[in-house]
Amino acid sequence: MSIYYYLSAFLFCLGLIGTILKKDLISMLLCIELMLGGVALLFILFSKSTGFIDSQLMVIFMMIISACEVAIGLSLIIALYRNKQTIYTDEIKIITE
Amino acid sequence: MLESAIEILLKTIVILALPLGALPLIIHVERRGAAFMQKRLGPNRVGPFGLLQPLADVAKFMFKEEVHPTHVKPFFYVAAPLVALVVAILPLACIPIAAPFELFGRTIFPEVFRTDMGIFYAFAVSALGSYGILLAGWASNNKYSMLGALRACAQMVSYELSLSTSVVAMIFLYGTNDIHQMIGAQTGYWFGFLPKWGVFIQPVAAMLFLVGIFAESNRLPFDLAEGESEIVAGYHLEYSSMKFALFFMAEYIHMIALSALFIILFFGGYALLPGMSFLAEKSPILLVALQALSLITKIALMIWFFVWVRWTLPRFRYDQLMTLGWERLLPLGIANLIITVLFVYYRN
Amino acid sequence: MGVDILLTILTVVFALMVVFSKKTVVSAFALLMTLLCLAMIYFQLGTVFLSAVQVLVNAGAIAILFVFVMMLIDLEQFPNNRERNKIKLVISIFTILIIMGVLALIINNNIDTLTVINLSDNSMKALFEKLYNTYYLPFEMATVLLLAAIVACVVITNHRKDDDSDNEGADKGVHP
Repeated sequence: MSIYYYLSAFLFCLGLIGTILKKDLISMLLCIELMLGGVALLFILFSKSTGFIDSQLMVIFMMIISACEVAIGLSLIIALYRNKQTIYTDEIKIITE
Repeated sequence: MLESAIEILLKTIVILALPLGALPLIIHVERRGAAFMQKRLGPNRVGPFGLLQPLADVAKFMFKEEVHPTHVKPFFYVAAPLVALVVAILPLACIPIAAPFELFGRTIFPEVFRTDMGIFYAFAVSALGSYGILLAGWASNNKYSMLGALRACAQMVSYELSLSTSVVAMIFLYGTNDIHQMIGAQTGYWFGFLPKWGVFIQPVAAMLFLVGIFAESNRLPFDLAEGESEIVAGYHLEYSSMKFALFFMAEYIHMIALSALFIILFFGGYALLPGMSFLAEKSPILLVALQALSLITKIALMIWFFVWVRWTLPRFRYDQLMTLGWERLLPLGIANLIITVLFVYYRN
Repeated sequence: MGVDILLTILTVVFALMVVFSKKTVVSAFALLMTLLCLAMIYFQLGTVFLSAVQVLVNAGAIAILFVFVMMLIDLEQFPNNRERNKIKLVISIFTILIIMGVLALIINNNIDTLTVINLSDNSMKALFEKLYNTYYLPFEMATVLLLAAIVACVVITNHRKDDDSDNEGADKGVHP
């Protein structure tokens, strides 16, 4: 079971590196999902080692929050694509109009 | 250890063989049923009553040339039909064909994957059903396929909502997630003749679920994903021979799995059909056989219902479909859910 | 033990594909596979309910949303490895290695307390008793958050510039 601790750390770090390196918004969102997956795994492992069921509930809350995040993020991307015809972060220079 | 491995292997074989073996028969019923509805004869040349026609079709599919278009995305193009078939088979794993019984001193649960939240598992894996279609549409690299896939996907995601409201209402009502306990709550009779099926307590939820499974399995009147008159054949436009047949099989198996879930929730699952109970008292093995027979009969009637609806109702328009899903069925489902919760709260 | 390692290797491979694949659609499907592998890990750890929810919500809804949006946007014109900055890559990899090292130290020092398995009641009943008794306020807030997200999505995607004739009617047939 101990290998899963390293796995969750690895997933979090990989998501982080992806979020930093990627230029397009969709890939960044994908990498954030990866980070969330790593943290959720860690919560479940804690629930196994401490015996508290609370950390499993945290995973449920995390799923709710990640669903909201993805839905709003993707709709923002679509709105951005409609207005600017781009999804690259470095091409979006002005914030209004 | 070895014994349980053998048990699981046998159960897997049975669960896989039943629907796959029934497929040719279902296709035959579908074609003959279509002919019956339209006052035609249908395929009746090959074998008695044309019963061997599906086998001839299979042979034709096997020996047809595999056309592999050059403009497709090769890996995903091949993977899509397999994904569709595998995902369609997965929900069958938790569907019991009889009550738990004793054999050679072991208690045998007649489902492959025994869990106390079977209904939840079935819906979780059938939520993956749109991936095969989405992959096919994207990998085909073709506007019609893409449109078909997007339509199918949007339709499945939308109707999953009203479907799940009806399932949650039934879970509240039975107070359990376990399929065996759900069916246990539905055995017996009211007033001596009316079976205790869920459909008589929750007709609204049953209706929602019924509409939902038509949309989920992309059958007429909701087969907008294929819609020959608008987008040629939708997501399987670029597929030929055996790959096309795999999509076809996936659709029928998805239909069987969803019908089985519908029957478990609303028509008593493997609970004996009225009039069978006096036979079942003879021996426990006979009881198991009769329960399996009841389930299979109910599923067969359900499949006939699919055929019946297919040749009765015309196809919906896309905006009509979305309006029905979001503005009619979803509020209805939520209202039904609230009423059910209040009922359960005041009953206890 | 073997299952642990197999699942870990699978997850790592798919996670690497998410970050380093050249096509965004491939990354999305790799993310789907990662989430399914995580669901299998949850199942192996004995939290069956969470594994089912993971498949239902994360794999069944969130990953579908990703693929759906990717198909609405023409991704051919947006390759996802454009002008990859070498210095940035090296620096981030070093940072990640340092973070991993620190985490590994922490994990290694506490491995005895972390890998003790305390048996807890994993049933749905225990989970939801806790949810509706101790955590009812966060739960209500989460539902409000979901509602806000729904409204936000509808508002954001329905907004149209009046002078933009290219997109006229582009979302007319699309239902919120």
